[in-house]
Amino acid sequence: MRTKLIFVTLFALVGAFSQTPQPAPIEGPAAPAYVPGVTYQSANPNYPTRNPFYFEGRIDWNLLKIDQPSNTWEYMERGIHEQDDLEDYASAIKDYQQSIAMNNLTNNTCQIVTSPIPSSGQLNPPPCIFTVRLRLAGLIKQTDPATALDLYNQVLNIDPLRLGVNAAIGEVYASMAEAASDPAKAASLYNQAVTAYQAELALSPVTPLQTQLTGDTANNAHVHWALAEIFDKLNRPSDEMSELNLYLQATKWHSDTYPWRITLAQKRIAKLQSGAADRRPTRLH
Amino acid sequence: MPLAAQTPVGAPTESPFKDQDYQRPQVCQQCHPRQFAELRSSVKSGYRNVSPLFNGLEAAGNLLNGGLLRPVYADSAKTTTAADGSTIPLNTNMFTTRDYQNVSQVRAGFCLSCHNGPFVRRANDPQLREVPELAGTGANFVPELFRPLRDYHLVDGNGNQVLPATIGGDPPPGSGPSLGATGITCDLCHNIGGADLSRSFQGDGFANISILVNHTIEKVGPFAQPLAVKGNFHVSSNDPTKINFLRSGAFCNACHDVRVPLAAPGDFQHAEIDVNPGGQNVTYYRLENLSSEWQVGAYNSTNNPFGKVIRCQDCHMSMFPFAGNSNYKVGDLNITSATPAVFADNFAAIQGAADGNFPIPKRKVVDHHFTGVDVPLLYPNELQARLGSDYPDPYQAGVDEYGIPLSLATRRRALLENAARVSLDKSDKTATLGQTFTVRAECVALTGHRFPAGFSQERTTYLQLSVTDDNGVVIYQSGYVVDKPHPETGEMQPDGNLDDEDIEHVHAVVDPGHPRPNTSTPYAGGTFGGAANQVFEAGPDDGPDSRVYFGNNEGLVLFRNELTRIFQPGQSLGHNDANGNPIIATKPHYEETFNAALASTVDNFRSLQPLVPRTFKYDITLPTAEELQEMGVTSLKAPLHIHAQINYEHFPPLFVRYLVRTTGPNGPTGHDLGLLSEQRIDDLLKNLTNLASADVTATVQE
Repeated sequence: MRTKLIFVTLFALVGAFSQTPQPAPIEGPAAPAYVPGVTYQSANPNYPTRNPFYFEGRIDWNLLKIDQPSNTWEYMERGIHEQDDLEDYASAIKDYQQSIAMNNLTNNTCQIVTSPIPSSGQLNPPPCIFTVRLRLAGLIKQTDPATALDLYNQVLNIDPLRLGVNAAIGEVYASMAEAASDPAKAASLYNQAVTAYQAELALSPVTPLQTQLTGDTANNAHVHWALAEIFDKLNRPSDEMSELNLYLQATKWHSDTYPWRITLAQKRIAKLQSGAADRRPTRLH
Repeated sequence: MPLAAQTPVGAPTESPFKDQDYQRPQVCQQCHPRQFAELRSSVKSGYRNVSPLFNGLEAAGNLLNGGLLRPVYADSAKTTTAADGSTIPLNTNMFTTRDYQNVSQVRAGFCLSCHNGPFVRRANDPQLREVPELAGTGANFVPELFRPLRDYHLVDGNGNQVLPATIGGDPPPGSGPSLGATGITCDLCHNIGGADLSRSFQGDGFANISILVNHTIEKVGPFAQPLAVKGNFHVSSNDPTKINFLRSGAFCNACHDVRVPLAAPGDFQHAEIDVNPGGQNVTYYRLENLSSEWQVGAYNSTNNPFGKVIRCQDCHMSMFPFAGNSNYKVGDLNITSATPAVFADNFAAIQGAADGNFPIPKRKVVDHHFTGVDVPLLYPNELQARLGSDYPDPYQAGVDEYGIPLSLATRRRALLENAARVSLDKSDKTATLGQTFTVRAECVALTGHRFPAGFSQERTTYLQLSVTDDNGVVIYQSGYVVDKPHPETGEMQPDGNLDDEDIEHVHAVVDPGHPRPNTSTPYAGGTFGGAANQVFEAGPDDGPDSRVYFGNNEGLVLFRNELTRIFQPGQSLGHNDANGNPIIATKPHYEETFNAALASTVDNFRSLQPLVPRTFKYDITLPTAEELQEMGVTSLKAPLHIHAQINYEHFPPLFVRYLVRTTGPNGPTGHDLGLLSEQRIDDLLKNLTNLASADVTATVQE
């Protein structure tokens, strides 16, 4: 059978030729032999080369092949690994602080970009990184709210339009107000929180076009919920009811991660409308 | 005939045999009916070329950049700029350019080349050309005359091209699929001579169809000792280099990485430049990264649960996932999942196909279903009208001779059910009213690449997580969808269908663009082409941004990668402030974008890497006793039930709705390209829930 197979194959091959094979001449040095599954770019495809921005996301630490961080971005990425994968927050804070020290306006190791990116992709010093600042602020906001607020404001200087930063500032102020023993101080902090939350709303307003396209008449449910909570503390029932109504509008087609809040908002509005006094025990006095 | 524009590098790849024109798969069917039948239902073969989604995406890219994605050919009079700054003819496209010098050469035919490269090459002959070159591009682009690609893939009974009577219209009566409608078919894979290193940006044969495709009677199969073919219709190659390439995972590299040309400086977060001589002006970003992920992953080694290299073919061309399960550990997770690399014994061709009627032996053969993660967005009658009356229903009943479902949709589900696992075992065991407790969802991808992969910026894979008390009261939810109206596409009331709903991490509506005021107005993609976000805001389940940038343990866990537009100072975001004025960036501003042609960077690391578990935390705050009291609830009934499941959308509805509008009558062309509609979304967008799941309980402390 084997002999017949070879014969048949050879016969077929001869019959199939219509021209003599002419291997193409290869000029210059011989290219390295291609090996399927082995031949691949020499640079690590998972390590991004800044152009001009540092990669602002999270890359799986094991893919970066870094033994010891040596620049601002690598410290940030190790910090992310420590925070997300190891729950080692103390180490993450240290690495984030080191990263920011190496990417800082005060020592001219980063810059705020205010003009279009050159086609060369070169910006020196590099742009300031926002992710590391947001993450460090998030880790220290309970223990060092002032520094957290400073970091959030640095991010607003890097990108004033970034969503969520003003809300994070509002959350820190509200948390500071909760902890304040002086009612006047607490009220002042709550008002700063209100200002920050309203700045958040201003970045993505519900426009007539949006309502036309989506049917939504409100958005940012969590911001409205937070504002309602603050207005309750400030004993501003009209504002609280307004925010609760906006919260219900915002959740109408989108629900909430905490859906029981929708029921709670409805109950609170009903009570506010009924004029019931002292419905909640947490107001400032 | 020598290779038209590609030069062999390294191993000998050119075929010495006589020419043979590109063949319809029906020609191969005569001797290889099993392979034909299997391939017929693969989305890459035929469907993709008439897919309303593919056609819509290609159209959207062209409407944004003024037709630059349409192919040019050898007889083109267009020009571009060479690496040295001189003006050179732009008469080669992504497949036929030997050495790229300008991104224009990569853009030309960008979509079509990957989905049918040899077909683009043969179109250098005007007599064989189906898709014409656009007369004008850029400012001279005429959107009013723009046809979707599939308009050109129809022929009459004599084999002559016929066009729908109106742009984007139904196939003319009596028409059938052209050769170009066949897509990736027998004659693409079995004509491949090797990797085209000099035409791949990193010199390695990855991406953008950087393969050498011969067009001779030499057909490369998997067998080292192939039989001779009766009548020499083709020769079965016995070239070990070509055979080994066909059998390797590397065979898939050229098409399953996609790198998008981007004007300098390219990807704003990653300097990516063509390393080949003269390629210094060709910058790009990585869209599809599947082959690279496999290349550097555990399955391209023996360091995986199976102790051997698991190739693409071992999952996508084997009996996987219908050939039994394996048990193994990944980290501390115990996994039970389908076994790869099990192949059937069968005949590679029908008896009588070999020369001299030599008996065809039974051998290990590969499966040609190429099951992936997509199902067609065409109705069965539309599929048959465009691809032939024998085109299979993606939802048909029955199984083949091996017990593999005939239904593409069923195979897709089975494949995806073996793609990932989730565990909640590391979650807090106790929760306290008014306090935060932490749910830990440990996820792992079992795929050979990251998961999701391919067009991973749209393949929406996510965790749905819920915490309920013992009475069923929902304390927390993430990864949920809500039935709602979609006025943008005419759905004015909720329709009871959840498959057409987006997850709630972001609310976005993409600008479809609009017609130019008159045909004498020069075309400007930035003005008329749309693609920016008309609406963009955080939703209540905003996990991706909260987790990635802020480091918060809250909100949606989304494995979808992200296309990002970094708006430069002075650029409009596309949406307005409260006063109706455009919001203009004063500093660089990052925002997710849904048109790959608008992206300036990409985050391809949100997907799960293979065989490396990753834990996502949810810090969940229980209501206080006072809040429960306000709601008239005495307390939560223990235990709390925590449930997590992995869900999958092949396309996010908001993305498809963008394509509905930009290819619709109010889009830049001013007429309906006949591709997509809200009705089509409602009928055919089929998402998959509960691919894998986990459940635990937690006690409640007052």
